[in-house]
This record gives sequence, structure tokens and C-alpha cells, in this order.
Amino acid sequence: MKLRRTIFFVFPVLLITDLSLAVESTDTAFFESKIRPVLVENCYKCHSVESGKSKGGLLLDTQAGTLQGGDNGPAVVPGKPDESLLVAAISHAQPDLEMPPKKARLPDGVIADFKRWIESGAADPRTESTGSLSHAPTDLESGRKFWAFQKPQPPPVPKSDKNAPWPKSDTDQFILASLEKKDLTPSPDAAPAVLLRRLHFDLTGLPPSQEEQSAFLKRVDESGIDAALAERTDQLLASKSFGERWGRHWLDVARFAESSGKESNFTFPEAWRYRDYVIDAFNRDIPFDQFIAEQLAGDLLPAKDDAERARLLIATGYLAIGPISLNAMSKEQSLADVADEQINASTQAFMATTVACARCHDHKFDPVSMEDYYAMVGIFRSSKTYYGTAVGPDNQLGGDLIHLPDSLDLPVFYKAIKPEKVAELKQEKIDLIEKENEARKKAEQAVKEGKDPSEFFSLQMAIAGLWRKGAIDGQLSLVGEEGNPNTMCMGVTEGEEIKNSPVYERGELATPLESEVPRGFPEVVQLSDPPEIPDDESGRLQYAEWLTHPDHPLTARVLANRVWKHLFRTGIVRTTDNFGFNGERPSHPDLLDHLALQLVTEHKWSVKGLIRELVLSRSYRQSSDFRESAFLKDPENRLLWRMSKRRLDAEEIRDAILFVSGDINLTRPVASIIGRTGDRNAALLPFAKNIPADLDGSVHRSVYLPVVRDRLPDVLELFDFAESSLVTGDRETTNVPMQALYFMNSDFVEERSTSFAQRVKSDAGSEREAQFKAAFQRCFNRRPDSEEIVLATEFFSNEPGPDSLKRYCQALLSTATFRNLD
Amino acid sequence: MMNAPFIPSRRTLLKSISSGFGYLAYASLAAEESSKAGRKNLSVRSPHFPARAKQVIFLCMKGGPSHVDTFDYKPELQKRNGEPWRGGPARLLSSAQEFKQHGESGLHISSLFPHLAKNHADDLCVINSMHTDLPNHPQAYAQLHTGSFQFVRPSLGAWSLYGLGSSNQNLPGFVTLNPPSDMGGANNYGSAFLPAIYQGAKIGGGQLPALFSALSGKTEEPGPPMKNIDNPHVSRKTQRAQIDLIAGLDQRKLEHDHYHPEIEGSIQSFELAYRMQDEIPDVLDIQSEPESIQKLYGVGRSGDGDRFAKQCLLARRLVESGVRFVEVTAPTSWDHHSLLNQNLAKSSEVTDQPIAALLTDLKNRGMLKDTLVVWSGEFGRTPYAQGLGDGRDHNNKGYSMWMAGGGVKGGYAHGSTDDFGYKAIDKPVHIHDLHATILHLLGLDHERLTYNYAGREFRLTDVYGNVVTDIVA
Repeated sequence: MKLRRTIFFVFPVLLITDLSLAVESTDTAFFESKIRPVLVENCYKCHSVESGKSKGGLLLDTQAGTLQGGDNGPAVVPGKPDESLLVAAISHAQPDLEMPPKKARLPDGVIADFKRWIESGAADPRTESTGSLSHAPTDLESGRKFWAFQKPQPPPVPKSDKNAPWPKSDTDQFILASLEKKDLTPSPDAAPAVLLRRLHFDLTGLPPSQEEQSAFLKRVDESGIDAALAERTDQLLASKSFGERWGRHWLDVARFAESSGKESNFTFPEAWRYRDYVIDAFNRDIPFDQFIAEQLAGDLLPAKDDAERARLLIATGYLAIGPISLNAMSKEQSLADVADEQINASTQAFMATTVACARCHDHKFDPVSMEDYYAMVGIFRSSKTYYGTAVGPDNQLGGDLIHLPDSLDLPVFYKAIKPEKVAELKQEKIDLIEKENEARKKAEQAVKEGKDPSEFFSLQMAIAGLWRKGAIDGQLSLVGEEGNPNTMCMGVTEGEEIKNSPVYERGELATPLESEVPRGFPEVVQLSDPPEIPDDESGRLQYAEWLTHPDHPLTARVLANRVWKHLFRTGIVRTTDNFGFNGERPSHPDLLDHLALQLVTEHKWSVKGLIRELVLSRSYRQSSDFRESAFLKDPENRLLWRMSKRRLDAEEIRDAILFVSGDINLTRPVASIIGRTGDRNAALLPFAKNIPADLDGSVHRSVYLPVVRDRLPDVLELFDFAESSLVTGDRETTNVPMQALYFMNSDFVEERSTSFAQRVKSDAGSEREAQFKAAFQRCFNRRPDSEEIVLATEFFSNEPGPDSLKRYCQALLSTATFRNLD
Repeated sequence: MMNAPFIPSRRTLLKSISSGFGYLAYASLAAEESSKAGRKNLSVRSPHFPARAKQVIFLCMKGGPSHVDTFDYKPELQKRNGEPWRGGPARLLSSAQEFKQHGESGLHISSLFPHLAKNHADDLCVINSMHTDLPNHPQAYAQLHTGSFQFVRPSLGAWSLYGLGSSNQNLPGFVTLNPPSDMGGANNYGSAFLPAIYQGAKIGGGQLPALFSALSGKTEEPGPPMKNIDNPHVSRKTQRAQIDLIAGLDQRKLEHDHYHPEIEGSIQSFELAYRMQDEIPDVLDIQSEPESIQKLYGVGRSGDGDRFAKQCLLARRLVESGVRFVEVTAPTSWDHHSLLNQNLAKSSEVTDQPIAALLTDLKNRGMLKDTLVVWSGEFGRTPYAQGLGDGRDHNNKGYSMWMAGGGVKGGYAHGSTDDFGYKAIDKPVHIHDLHATILHLLGLDHERLTYNYAGREFRLTDVYGNVVTDIVA
């Protein structure tokens, strides 16, 4: 203690270093502070599973690899720095073994640290297996041995004697077993109010109201926490807010956006229909195998009526909402890029595998060949994608939309045009074509006579004609014969021609190789009776069947892992979108297999079923409180000795502010701003009359905010929304001053603070203390303690003005405490 | 205001340490660093090797300036005006500009840039052998900024910031002034899969697509220069009280949680944000510059000339304040398909004086040696006329760009195109090579500056790029 006190006044960073030295003898802290960062910085690039490199046969990212060493022998011999090759290498003691290569020798202090570390026994917590493979399994045989490509087997459920009363489920048994292996114990249950807040945000993305909290606590008193939790869980799963939260998780993975992105960013006015479809699918708990089939091949599934037909067509919007180059040099190239995007997005979303890496060469890290890739290209090139943007300047690739049954009375925003106008447009097109043909004939004649043809027909004229015709086609496609607006959606149908694709050398369309690859799926996955693609079908339906086949090693694991990630903050496989060699290995492989099998056999692919099982586990109930001894053993909480804390995501932050201020409108708005504004270049959105500058201006839930690629509403942009051109299973969390500026200065927070204060006044009357207590209660669902009362009193004595309650409310909404979950 | 008390966050740090968890915080952060999710702040990082340039000002000449009218002198082209190009219908179009040699180095610069030629010929390092993959604006523009026209990738500025961090935490580390809102929009200053803190902060409204601009008479998007930087409804005093209250409440939480980087980071963010509110408007306030400096840049000239003068002056103020990478998009299009000479005169007139002033100003302040100034469009233009008209078409096969300061040779021309300026033939430099070279000048090895995304190590130059060592001073 004395040491700490004396260095209070020293520069903090020095202080931290000194302290870390002070505890060097304890355990692995020395390793974490002095050794690991050096290894990561200087060695992992060539010697780690993550980099996919093990030069000289050496891996330095695990204890086992380090001790075992490479071609030259053990890198580290505990207790014996002189015999440890690692020390020799970093000291540049041998001329042919100077590490890191082509760089200056590491500082003497660092080398001394390594010697000291090895001398004292080379404590190394990196004992988790990162897989036995030391090189990437790129051939079929070793690929099939890689854990992720092996079918999950039902693991034996462990049973603990030491902590017998703790586990409530099989999940708990697995968690407990791996904790006990490290001499760790689980944390006690969180307090009921903390649990309720956690459950509410995790399931619906909204905080509990004060009334809901009182009711819950009363229920806990009456019938115990188990019954109260189960009851509340069922209620939340049944609420429509559930789909708005979990649908949004899927929209991240589905790289959902309402514009084409890339160079010519045109809006997709019909994309919102897919968004609503996803939300509804989660609320209806459509089994996930069916959900996959609907998105990949809804057009090919049977429908009992027009409404169901429309729903299934809208589902295929999944394949059409990806980023697309509307200004590509050729139509052919653009179609190839669309298929590539569809392969990339779907294999990453459903299998956490990057098949699209094999477009130009066999995959460098995973057992995916170019043949595998082009087998899938055949499937998507035999389909037609309807992304529906109008031809015009900056957009040479107008696309159609799918016409939905008009009988359904779905919202439509195109204006009706008069029947005469329809006829007029049709005539204009005929005239244009005729005129163009004449001009072309004259030009041809001119060429024959050796005259300049451009007088009659130039490239500019051709382009102008194309734009005009495109514009007419666009207008006509949106209305029926009578000029009544059509109901349209984005999506995919079977193409005009069903055909296999050749392999293109280096992925270039100019260099097709001779043989075609039959349409199919990556060979590394072995199924007992794989679906066969009929000659006259694209194969999308079979793709869905293949993905959800009971033998498939990835789909159920990937989904279970995604669900786990959202409930336990980190995936069992941390790289949720990459289960390949370069992804991380599971922290609990048996648990992952168990959950994947449960999902399919027990829950019949019901996402709600799996969520319910997990949130009712004891593991989920743990307190997030800090425990020093456990923290030292497992600082990243990979073994789940507590619930990890998390910052709320962008939508939750905005929704919680709306909720507390009382402004929130929980109904679903019709369409989205983009749907109501129509087709245009995103650069022109700031000029559209009905669009506010922050692209927000609404009090509906955040899932309904417009998602235009590269042009997000401020709140989404600032609080780490998913990059909507990429598959995102795990968002970043950053902490930057621009976020603070949003709380301090944005119109949105300003308006919410006003309403918040008004509601507090009407609830609590005019007495100051009653007001700030009520505000606190409304924001945090608890009464302020004595110190918090002192802080509030101080604030009001410094700020006695008429606005002070509003400023107090704004400050409460701005606290990190408000946007972090225990 | 600049010296506003920093008490709450220091108290936070000390309290968290006094409760014995400082070293734990460190251990855990080290572990976090080790995971690939590390590098979530903008603190300064050492380059791979000693840097020649510490910061970059990228003067982006949107539209593709004609190299044969500016920096690539082609006597053969001048002689053969009107002759058919390669036997086709196209006719060679000689340059109407007068080319002279300037400075001690004798660098060729056309009469379009009198200020630059007179004062800085010996500072410029011209590359006359640039080439890029496609002669189409959006793709070439994206490739110039991100290396890729096919995929959404982090921009050059984002990579630079990722590699080096920023020395001023009160300002964004990467700023782009009035970027075009089309041509890929935010992708050109985006961070793609890099953490969002590396993306460029847009200051000033986006420039509108040319077509729309012509139709509407508006050149920029509406709105304040930067969002949420000011709240007209609240005084600084009240804000200070709010921030103390926020910190006090969060401090309570932190004491309970012992170790909670999110909360600790947020307390600091609010302090920083509070100071940014003053620092950013201060930096943006170019009126505070002496009149002589404003005049040097040409502030107060008419229209676009005035706007570009202000942009250049602001760029200097930003790098002076520690911003790592500043991009300035000139408010003039170089896409001269027709009326070549009138349009060239206009675009050069807008840009010449401010650019020359920027170089002079940087030099006078001793900053040019550390600041790499880059002048480039997305491609060049054809040596033949477009159609039978009086303009030039896009040309990606050969064009010119220049750099100055930041460790490049001055008064030097690198590589060359053929006799007509059509194709780079001697020492060709691809965009990937240019990117590798810019990173090299910043002390970064383009092969080692990688980020693991979706199981692959990505870099700005993909699998390409060679550093053009010839141009390094």
C-alpha cells in the first residue's frame, strides 16, 4: 500500500508499469504486460495460427507451440534462458538466427524481460488449444479433418460434484466444467433488477419501465426467481419488440441497406420490405432452416395464397440488397460481380466461410477450390436479380423489380399516372427506337460513302437515347396498363437460361477455361445424401437444402454461435463470421456442438427456443461484478466466470433515450424515409424536402431508421453501426469524443431532454428534490443514493436557471452508466 | 477554455489505481492489444522505420487533369497537331499551353501554373509515368483513394491514421474538406473494415455531382461545417457543470465496478469533447490568420478561387494542429471533355495561387520537410481530341501527378510517357506503387501495415505495390 501511495503523484503511465513490476512474481501478469505484447507485435506475423504462418515450423501463439518449438528445437525451455532458442534469436546471438528478421534488435530491456520470464518458469496462460494443425488445411483431406468441417457429435454432458447445486441446464454443466478445470468458480446470480434490465435489452433492445420492474420484483418475491424469469422471458419473446431487436441482428449479417453503395450510390426504395419481412420472421419464429430457404429461394417455394407468395418473394430480397456497382464497365462484369457478392454474403452469413476468396485462385487458408466457387457461380448466374434502379447518368445498369400481386393492398409510393400518359410514353419509346434506327442507317450509309458518320449518329446520341429509353422503361415498369402504381419488391427469380459456369482464370471474364463446372457446393462438406440440382433449376433451392441438411457441419453451429454471441457478448467462436483456419477456435467446442445439435433436434431450428434455453441458464444469470482472482486467471472472461459487461449498441442507445424521455412511438412506421422518397442518387438526399439533416427526425424505433450505404443517420454512424457493405456478426465498440458531442449538442438529445424534463415535472411537481429524484428513478429504475443526491444538489446550486432540470436530465442520459449494461 | 480543468478523469485514473486495479487494467489492456481487436484509439504509434513525412495534405484534382497541358511536355505532339491518331478517326490535339523550364532544376511546367512555376519548380517531384486500371471516373477515383475499385476498402488516409495514430486527440486524425458526395462518396474517406475511429471526418458540405450542380446552381450540400460541434441553447458554464455531474455519476459506477474501461473511456471522451468544441472552431477560423497570409493564399478572390484558398489555408492549420492526413478536394472539375482551353484556364486559375501559397507557407514555417503534399487526379487525358471536338477524353494509361516536401526529391521528374503522352513507358508507376511510396515516406512498410478482417490480412496495396525509391530524397 505504501508503494502505491508514494507514487500517486508520478505520471500515471509510469505508475502502472511500476505496479506491474511489483506483481511480477504473481502468476501471469508479467507475461501479459511484458511478454505477450512483444510476441504479438514482433512474432505473430510469421508464427501464429491467426496469421496462417508458421515459419520454420514454429508457432508462438500458444504455450504448447512455444515449448514444442519448430524445426530447430524448443523455443523456450522454462527456467533455462540460455537453452531457449527464442532468447538466442532475439539477442541476435547467432548470425543465421536473428529475430525479428530485417529489423533492429529489440531493446535490451525487452530481452532482459524475456530472460527473466523464462528464468522464473515461463508462466504462460495461452494454454487453450488453437487446433492441432500448424498449417492451413487447404486440401480436401486435411480440410475434412479441420474441426469446423467435421459434423458435430453429441458430446457427453459433464457433471460437477463440487458445485452440484449451481447448474440449471446442460449449458451450465459445460461452462462449469471448463471453469473448474482452471480452478475458477461461477459468479453468484445478479440482483433481480439487474437481471431484468439485462433480459429486456438482450431480448427486445429496450429497458424495462418502472412498472414492469415493480411487477417483476413482486413476482420474484411471490414465486421465486426461476418462475419469474421464465414468465418474463416468455412475455418478452412474444412481444413484437423481440423481432425488432433480433431481426436487426440478422440485418447486420444480411448486409441490409437501402442503397446500392459503391461508386454510384442509388437508393433502393423497396428494400424496406425485406427489413419488415425479417422482423416478422423473427417474431413468428419461422424455423431457421425455412428462413434460409425463403431468403435463398422463396420464389420456388409453394404459397397457399397471394399474401404468402408476396412474403416469399420479398424474402429473396436478401440476395438483391447487396452493394452493387451501377457504373461498371460492362454488363457481363457487373453480373459476375453480383453473383460474387451473393456467394460471399451467403457463405459468410450461413457457414462463416469465405468461399468468395476462391474467385481468382484456390483458397489460401481453407479447403475451398476455384471449382467450388464456380460451381456456385453457376447457381447464381442461372438466377436473375431484381435490384431495381432506374437507368440514368451514373447508372448504366438499371434493374427491374419483381411485380407483387396487386390484390394485397401493400403500401406503394409510386404515383399513379393517367392512362393517356402510359400510351404516350409507349409511343415515345417506339418513336425513339424508330428515329434511332433511321439515324443508324444514315450513319452506315455515310461510312460507306467515306463521310463522317457522327453527324447522323454519335456515341453521345446513343447514350442519350439509352438513358431516355431507360427512364421510360423505368416509369412504365412501376405502373399497370391503366397507370395505376404497381406493388414491387426486390428479389431473385430463376434466370432465363440455366447454365453452368466455366472456371475463369484469375477470375477474369476474358480468360474462361474450357471445361464447365456443374452447379453445386463446396466439396469439403460431406453429406449422406446431398441434394441434386435438376438440369432445369438454378440450384438455389438445393443450396438451402444443402445448408440445412442434418449432416452439414457448419450451418447450425454458426447460428448457435451467433445467438450465443448476442446473449453472452462474445461468441464461443469469437470470429462469428469466420470458422475457417484463420478464424479463432471455439472456447467451448463441446458446448458449441451440443447447442448446434439441440438447435436442430430439440428446438427444430427455433431461434426463440434456443434463446429461451440460454437466458434461463444459470450462466446467463451471473453477476457481472469484478472478482480479482478470477480476473487474473482469465482477464478476457473467455470461460465465463461472470457475465461480461457490454455497451448498448447504437439502436439501443437511441431507443433507450426515446423510452426514458417518453417520446417513443412503438408502432411500426410505414416503409422508410427512403421508400417514401423514391429512387435517386444518395448524394441528392440532403435536398429532399422530407429528409432531416441527421437522417433521423423520428420517434420510432431505430431499426426503422433509413440505412443508406455511406450515409447513415448520425446516431448509427457514431455508435458503431454495422458496415452495411459487409457481413457483420460482431460490431465494434469504440469510445470517441464525437459520441460525447452527440450527447452534448445534437438536436435529437436536446429534444429528448426537453420532453424528459417536462414529463418529470408533470410526475413530480415543482419541488426540486422530488424532481431530480424522479428523473433519476425514470432513467435508472432506482432511487439515487446519498452521494448521488449530493451530486444533484451541487449541480442545481451551481445551475439555478429555468433550464436546469432539462440540463440535469440531459446529463443523466449522457452518463456511461446509462448506456452500459451489467 | 483550452486549459479547462481535467480533474474528473485524473481523479478517475488515480482512484482506480488507488483501489489497486491499475495494473490489472494494464494487464487486461495488453491482452486486448493482443487480440486483433486492438488499436482502438488514436494515440501516436511508432512507424516501422524512421519517417520522412509526418503528415499528408492530399490536393485532389477531381475529374482528371490533362497531363499534356500541365506537367508532361510533349514536343512531338506539338508538331503533329491534327494528324490522325494511330490511323483511326481521332486527331491529335497539341497543347495550347506554353511549356517552359523553371527553377534551377529546369522542370517543365506549362503556363497554366505561373505561381507554382515561379516559386516552387524546385520543390516539385513530378511523376510523369502514372497509370491506373480504368478510364472511368468512379472506379478510378475509388482506386486512387482506396487502391480498389471493386470492393469497399479503407482509404489511404484511414490506413495512414491506423499506422501512425494522431498527435492531437482533440481533433480527428483524418480530415477531408468538402469531398464530392458522388464518385463513391464516403467510401473515399471511409475506414471499411478498419475500426470506425480511422475514418475521415468530413468538414464542410459535400460537393455535388457536376450534373446536378449545373442544374440547380448549388455546389455544396447544406449544413454546418461539422456536426454537433456547438449547442446554441446552452452556455459553457452549464456544460461544465453537466460534465462534472456526468463524471461524478460515472465515477460512482466505476468505483463499484473497479475495472470498467468503457466507463473510464467515456469520462475522458466527455472532457475531450468539451475541449474540442473550442479547438475545432478555433482551427476552422481562418479569419484569425494575419491578413498577409490570407492574401498570400488568395482569400477574398472571387468564387471558387476564394473557396479553394480557404481550403488550402485550413489544410495548413489542420496539419499544424497535429492532424495526420488532410484531403482537400478542389472545387473545380478537371473533366474537360470540351472547351479544353477555357476550362483549363479556369481550373488552373482557381488552384494555382492557393497551392503555391500553401507550399510557401509550409516552407516558411519549417513544415514542408515533414509534410508530404500530394497533387493528383484520378487519371489523365488523351493526347487526341474527343470526337472532332475541342476537348480530351479520359486516359488511364499514362498521366502525371506531383508530390512536394515530406522527403521527396525536389525539381525532379520521374518516368515518362510515349512521345504523345498516351501511355506510361519509362518507369511506369501504378496507383499501388504510389500508395506504397506514400506509406513508405510516412515510415510504414506497405506489406506490413495489415489488418485482419474475415480471416485474411488485408493491406492498402493488396498483393501489389513497389516503393518508387528513385523519388525519395
